[in-house]
Amino acid sequence: MSGLQLQALLPIITLSSLILIQMMFIAFARNLRLTVSISVIALLLTALSFFPMVDHLPISATPLIQLDGFALFYSGLVLLGALMVTFLSYDYLRDQGERQDEFFMLLLLSCLGALILVSSNHFASFILGLELLGVSLYTMMSYPTRGLFTLEAALKYLILSGVSSAFILFGAALIYAIEGKLGFTELAGMNHTSAASGQFILLMGSTMIFAGIMFKLSLAPFHLWTPDVYDGAPAPVTAFLATVSKGAIFALALRLFTTTGLIDLDPLLRGLSFVAMVSILAGNLLALLQDNVKRILAYSSIAHMGYLAVAFVVAGKAGGQIMAMEAASYFLFAYFLTTLLAFSVVTIMSIADHEVDTTNLGDYEGLFWRRPALAAVFTATLLSLAGIPLTAGFIGKFYIFSIGVAAEAWLLMAFVVIGSGIGIFYYLRIIFAMTKAPRTDVKIEIPTASGWVAVVLTVSLVLFGVYPSPIIDLIGELMISFG
Amino acid sequence: MTIELILFYLAATVSLVSTILALTRYNAAHALIYLIISLLASAIIFYLVGAPFAAVLEIVIYAGAIMVLFVFVVMILNLGSRGDHQEHEWLNPRMWLMPALLCLVLFLEIVYVLSFTSEGLSGVVVAPKTVGIKLFGPYVLAVEIASMLLLAGLVGAYHLGRRYLSDARGGDQ
Repeated sequence: MSGLQLQALLPIITLSSLILIQMMFIAFARNLRLTVSISVIALLLTALSFFPMVDHLPISATPLIQLDGFALFYSGLVLLGALMVTFLSYDYLRDQGERQDEFFMLLLLSCLGALILVSSNHFASFILGLELLGVSLYTMMSYPTRGLFTLEAALKYLILSGVSSAFILFGAALIYAIEGKLGFTELAGMNHTSAASGQFILLMGSTMIFAGIMFKLSLAPFHLWTPDVYDGAPAPVTAFLATVSKGAIFALALRLFTTTGLIDLDPLLRGLSFVAMVSILAGNLLALLQDNVKRILAYSSIAHMGYLAVAFVVAGKAGGQIMAMEAASYFLFAYFLTTLLAFSVVTIMSIADHEVDTTNLGDYEGLFWRRPALAAVFTATLLSLAGIPLTAGFIGKFYIFSIGVAAEAWLLMAFVVIGSGIGIFYYLRIIFAMTKAPRTDVKIEIPTASGWVAVVLTVSLVLFGVYPSPIIDLIGELMISFG
Repeated sequence: MTIELILFYLAATVSLVSTILALTRYNAAHALIYLIISLLASAIIFYLVGAPFAAVLEIVIYAGAIMVLFVFVVMILNLGSRGDHQEHEWLNPRMWLMPALLCLVLFLEIVYVLSFTSEGLSGVVVAPKTVGIKLFGPYVLAVEIASMLLLAGLVGAYHLGRRYLSDARGGDQ
């Protein structure tokens, strides 16, 4: 293994060793403040350890890991998400009794899994990364801080996620049976080379992997778990699930399907268009029926994954690949900022509550009078989710729209337009609820860490909505070294 | 149909039947017996496709260590005179006939393979040394990630188990 390859593994090594150091501290001296500080230091050091390799991209370190601009961008997003969730969880867990330290260790472990996923170039690291992300997430979800209520969400996610992992494994086994290879790069162009009898098994295998990934991204026919899990899990964990977990899996799916050329398989692409349309429609329509903020956000995330799938479909059409990947990356960046901000508001609202999270629409009534700043922040998030100009969400949706038009995918575009139209209605419903007369005068305390998270995210939400070119340039530069 | 295919389908049938039986048993101990047979059958399949090392690991680690732990826990949980009565019921011929039959099929198969052919029947035989070199060569990262995965599982299981157990006992920790 050369020095360069070791350098490429530096982020993984840094994060793993800091996890072990944190474990030692927890074992000998439990101190929540110290544990959280180590978490923050670990995430910052890991982010720093990406810098030495920037000039040498792309590097493939062992057959398992491929570091290129694409991996770098998504690693940055993962670390950003994990950092924000760390601050939110600190406020959320601080007053919930002792022994909360392991939560932060599990958070780092699942972050490690996500980092492995986004740079994975092999089915082995794909599945190991996925499981590392998942296993830590199950415990974080059912972390018993507020009674046993969260256990239901964790159990649902555990069983369904386990089934979808089994699908992915079986699909990988079928592909291996035909090709005898597991690396994504080695598999490139396999759908053109193998014999006709192998084609069918190859299609079966890729469809199974496809279905597994759809499940993890909660795209429409596979979305049934999403509202319950979003609702039941603690708010910071939901934020992590919605952003880091989905973002990492989306990055992996994009790499898997474009590198191996599986995206050229016509039945798969048609299935993906169908899934995108159904997700947009189902997510937006079902959100109309909800009175629970977390559930509305869950359905809205289904719709947003549908918009992302549109970019995926366009990436499969000839010529539009790099552009589509840029659009998907920007859309995901905006989605990260917006979703993290939305859940940081839900977290702040829920901290005082010791039984379950504050999620009923009624609880948000009169927020403009009780806490104007918090209500303004939440309004900005909802407008960004709806894709209203001056927010990052608008630029993301605009990007998706422009690549769709360029690729002449009119039917998909029609669904995006209809979906956005319906979306505005239920986002505005929350905003109207916040302008009503307040029901109680109970003061909402805004804790320092979460407050700063909300401020930073709001500023970047508006900043990158008004002046998005730094991020667009960065994405364009990083995507060049893809592959 | 060639002999390899017959052997494969036989082992696969045993594996499927025992897995279905494991899922549908009401009694945990019975289900575990079928689960062990299912693991033995997949070990035979591994052997047939030329992975003797994986076959041995399947038996030693899954059927051996992990399953015996399961059986121990299940059996420890029903001690006492009720347990004696239950153990008497377990020795009912109806209960052990089916597992014995499935095991017999597997046994005959392995005897046949070992006596008539010296090596695995299809595919390239992968020796333990090759596996080791691969695991600590190009795939060393996978081994390390797997160890982190186990750490996550361990911390999670410990934490959840401890908290819920002490809740059930009325402890305040």
